Amino acid sequence: MKNLVVIGILALLFFGCGNQNKKQQQSAEPQAVVLTVDDLYEKASELSDKEVIVKGTVMHVCKQGGGRCFLMGSNEDINIRVEAGEKIGAFTQEQMGSDLEIKGILKIVRTEADAHNPGKEHGENSTEETDSIADEAHRIIAESLEDVEVVYFIEGFSFKEIKEIAE
Amino acid sequence: MKIRKLLRTLHRDFGYFIVGMTIVYGLSGIYLNHRHDFNPDYKIFITEFQVYLPDKNTLTDKDVKAALLSVNEDVVYKKHYLNNEGFIKVFIENGEAVINPENGVGKMQYLQKRRVIFSMNKLHKASIGTVWKWVSDIMAVILIFVAVSGLFLLKGKRGFGKWGWWLMTAGIIIPLVFALIYI
Repeated sequence: MKNLVVIGILALLFFGCGNQNKKQQQSAEPQAVVLTVDDLYEKASELSDKEVIVKGTVMHVCKQGGGRCFLMGSNEDINIRVEAGEKIGAFTQEQMGSDLEIKGILKIVRTEADAHNPGKEHGENSTEETDSIADEAHRIIAESLEDVEVVYFIEGFSFKEIKEIAE
Repeated sequence: MKIRKLLRTLHRDFGYFIVGMTIVYGLSGIYLNHRHDFNPDYKIFITEFQVYLPDKNTLTDKDVKAALLSVNEDVVYKKHYLNNEGFIKVFIENGEAVINPENGVGKMQYLQKRRVIFSMNKLHKASIGTVWKWVSDIMAVILIFVAVSGLFLLKGKRGFGKWGWWLMTAGIIIPLVFALIYI
């Protein structure tokens, strides 16, 4: 039994190190073109189902687990949903207001389930009075989706935080 | 019987092994059950305030930073912008604030991580990458094994055949009834 425990711990360490190596390899990859959210929407039709790198400010992170975030472009109305998926896992509330560079596949919404209107889903069920700011973000996101003919989102693979140089 | 002895040994050792994850699944499960009542990952603090701000057209990062520091000196400013409704939306470390530039009235929302539970929730939901997903699967299989092997450990009048199956059936019926009614 002791041997089993030792083997288990060694296997975990091996997997953990394997993951780190993968991360290091990813950061060594040549730099691809990084699009702003505004640029992404301009080229969205040709980039659909392709890998993209987009940067923007995180304007909202799903409060229930961080499974998705919304990146803001030049204003609140220009935003795109990013699904964390299995590779990213989850975004955190601490990333709100941070500038992220996210790599993923640009997807076009084809089903109701893909649409994800946060105002219509968990936001309204919340009984928590303190969530008024989050509800406001849900409303803005929902309104920005109302008038568009096609809705896009990104299936995220990886991200990095863009640190601004302090004055 | 040899099989019963083997089961007893495996049940004992895997039982010891899985205690930690059982507590993680159980405790975070309670918090996640109540995700519509409160945020399972963060405590949320709301502060309403009024600050002095210069004209919104000449507003700088420094003005906003100073205004928030006058409310709480621990606030770490990230960035701000004017939202569609003309309010100033400010991102701070671990939270955000919205200020009316006309009268300086604002609301600040500060999030504080529920340290242990936050990590437990992440482990429970397997949202920390692919490796943990598979490790977590193994843990779940072990947990199932411990539960099922437990059925066959005792013989006699308190054994599964005469006593255990009643309780097991009751434990299955309760969620089943809820599932039939509400799903």
